[in-house]
Amino acid sequence: MVRSVISMKALWHSEVHNEQKWAANMKLVRALGVFAGGIFFMRNYDCLPLLLLSLLIAECASRPLYTLPSLAKAGTKKPLQTSRPFNVAHRGANGEFPEETAPAYMRAIEEGADFIESDILSTKDGVLICHHDVNLDDTTDVADHKEFADRKRTYEVQGMNMTGFFTVDFTVEELTTLGAKQRYPFRDQQYNGKFPIITLDEYIAIALDAPRVVGIYPEIKNPVFINQQVKWADGKKFEDKIVATLKKYGYKGSYMSKDWLKQPIFIQSFAATSLVYISNMTDSPKVFLIDDVTILTEDTNKTYNEITSDKYLDYIKPYVVGIGPWKDTIVPVSNNRLTTPTDLVARAHSRNLQVHPYTYRNENQFLHSGFHQDAYLEYDYWINKIGVDGLFTDFTGSLHNFQELTSPLPKLQ
Amino acid sequence: MILTRCLPLIWLFLLTACAGRTLYPLPGKGGKSAKLPIQTSRPYNIAHRGSNGEIPEETAPAYLRAIEEGADFIETDVLSSKDGVLICFHDYTLDETTNVASHKEFADRNRTYEVQGSNKTGFFTFDFTLKELKKLRTKQRFSFRDQQYNGKYPIITFEEFITIAREAPRVVGIYPEIKNPVLMNQHVKWPGGKRFEDKVVETLKKYKYGGSYLSKKWLKRPLFIQSFAPSSLVYISNLIDSPKVLLIDDVTILTEDTNQTYAEITSDVYFNYIKQYVVGIGPWKDTVVQVSNNYTQAPTDLVKRAHVHNLQVHPYTYRNENEFLHLNFSQDPYKEYKYWINEIGVDGLFTDFTGSLHNYQEWTSPLSETSKSPRQLLGQIASLVLPYTKA
Repeated sequence: MVRSVISMKALWHSEVHNEQKWAANMKLVRALGVFAGGIFFMRNYDCLPLLLLSLLIAECASRPLYTLPSLAKAGTKKPLQTSRPFNVAHRGANGEFPEETAPAYMRAIEEGADFIESDILSTKDGVLICHHDVNLDDTTDVADHKEFADRKRTYEVQGMNMTGFFTVDFTVEELTTLGAKQRYPFRDQQYNGKFPIITLDEYIAIALDAPRVVGIYPEIKNPVFINQQVKWADGKKFEDKIVATLKKYGYKGSYMSKDWLKQPIFIQSFAATSLVYISNMTDSPKVFLIDDVTILTEDTNKTYNEITSDKYLDYIKPYVVGIGPWKDTIVPVSNNRLTTPTDLVARAHSRNLQVHPYTYRNENQFLHSGFHQDAYLEYDYWINKIGVDGLFTDFTGSLHNFQELTSPLPKLQ
Repeated sequence: MILTRCLPLIWLFLLTACAGRTLYPLPGKGGKSAKLPIQTSRPYNIAHRGSNGEIPEETAPAYLRAIEEGADFIETDVLSSKDGVLICFHDYTLDETTNVASHKEFADRNRTYEVQGSNKTGFFTFDFTLKELKKLRTKQRFSFRDQQYNGKYPIITFEEFITIAREAPRVVGIYPEIKNPVLMNQHVKWPGGKRFEDKVVETLKKYKYGGSYLSKKWLKRPLFIQSFAPSSLVYISNLIDSPKVLLIDDVTILTEDTNQTYAEITSDVYFNYIKQYVVGIGPWKDTVVQVSNNYTQAPTDLVKRAHVHNLQVHPYTYRNENEFLHLNFSQDPYKEYKYWINEIGVDGLFTDFTGSLHNYQEWTSPLSETSKSPRQLLGQIASLVLPYTKA
């Protein structure tokens, strides 16, 4: 008696509580119901072929009786972690895949990225795309496309003449015929020519489709150059179009607000004026990028010293939540060894500004001597000694590994 | 009056008090059992040529650094000088890792010899006396590693290497290789008809090394003796019972002493034979898991078969630099360690970056503290089980 009750319970559990089994069972019940109904009608109304046909259609077209798991409400997604420095997948997992392609981003999400990062540029016809360089030479197979041979041009970009194939000379249709390639010869070359350039919309879709909450970190890239070369209808600027797209997909809310936690985002740029310009249009958190000590800002021609001065940090503070400096300016390097850290992080933190330096790479040519060719020692130094709030890394998997091993997230109760 | 008579006594008393020994052993000379013992619960971290990722290989600082970084064993290659002194050095020529080229007084020592069937030219260790070798300074072999210690440190002797291990603040094992024994025995003659192998064992015995694997004696002074020459290992098997490891080179290389092929010495028949003399094998890792287009392929059955014969597997060599990491490891040496330790299941790893391996092992398989009381252990077990109990 007891035996059979237990086995009944087990049967019930396996047949009812198992989702797939339940779906199959429901289908069976429906099929039986339709069959029984069919038999009844057949006996009384004698139209077998019609009934068999309707049986078939009903069975195949029927909806399951419950919401499909993948359409379940967004609240069930695992939230963004906010208790340890952000793992920002710089151009996706570009240590393994060609940068800024769909697989690079999906791999980064797989590897545990908190944010996937991208650079936004524009095509000739004003479509926003994900691409880092203003020209296509180093990261696509444009050179193999004879039909575009005449598009090679020379432009002045940030005060220097540059020759190549520029994104602003190609329509989006033309651009998507190109194949992305791995920028560095010492990285995996096997995906060269396989994946296309993607648009800002596609990039956002990848983030929103992720099985957990994944933030985006788009950069308003080379806005001065883009606005010179591309004109949008109704007098809109590059920055306007970016914000419009973000809003279209529901990105809003200040840092750590409920809206923001549902769809996390940082908008970054080297051009402070662009960030100030969009500050009225969107309350999403912004990050001011800072280049090397010798480079002037592309929009205001300011020096490194100027834009990292106390005065400037006080000025920019109302518009941004943080800064993104090149890591070798925070801790200067001499003979490939780190020297004494500057006070930039301290001064930023005292103004409640986050610091997200770029870029962390595993390869030994990028690792300074004190780290013994071990990227994890570099992460340890920057996270525990310097105390940064986020890291742009080409190797999201390694950073995730390091963080999981040394500062695992608290287990859900 | 009494004082003057007692003066000699007082003097004697003072003398005794000042010169006398303390009643307890000084902390620095504490009993051997006070040293943290060698760990034997996870794969061995073998510092290949010391911490040569950071410091020129096989120098004293390279070994000291490796011990600091947590090595279980410090590894070395033993060769000989002209006057028969055993030194720690990998190449039989001095060109790649010393500044011999800048020593004009040795310019005429550039010679050509036949080594394993082909002619090699350079400055050979057995053409220099120890005194002369000590004039040289080592340099970092790989140009992409730290060059700042070039020209600073001398070559050390085998005895100096042993001393570094013995003086470590915890028990650190040694892993010397009987290197190029055929070549050494050709060019160096020891008195009493002794061979290169005899001298190596002699030195080990002098410092009280011995004892079979995991014996009490072995645990006090852990040791593996390695060689690419099986006949040398067989030769010394009667001389010392310390565990030995047979090194296995690439698939195209013949053994230097018996001219046997890779296929021969990795066959089941051969394992059956050699396991009487060795406790393990040390293969080149790209033969254990073959590589194609810089991606690792499906593993061979070498490790499985070795383990069936109760032979340990200690592959060489793990390096952090991306040029040595196959692409499926995403330029991450920790991924490589994870693969070899967890998926392939090796028993020890020769690594140029002892610190990284130690880090990996400490994070993923930390050694349990031995000082926990039973009550503490039960508490620890309870907290491990708790997340999995039904609510």
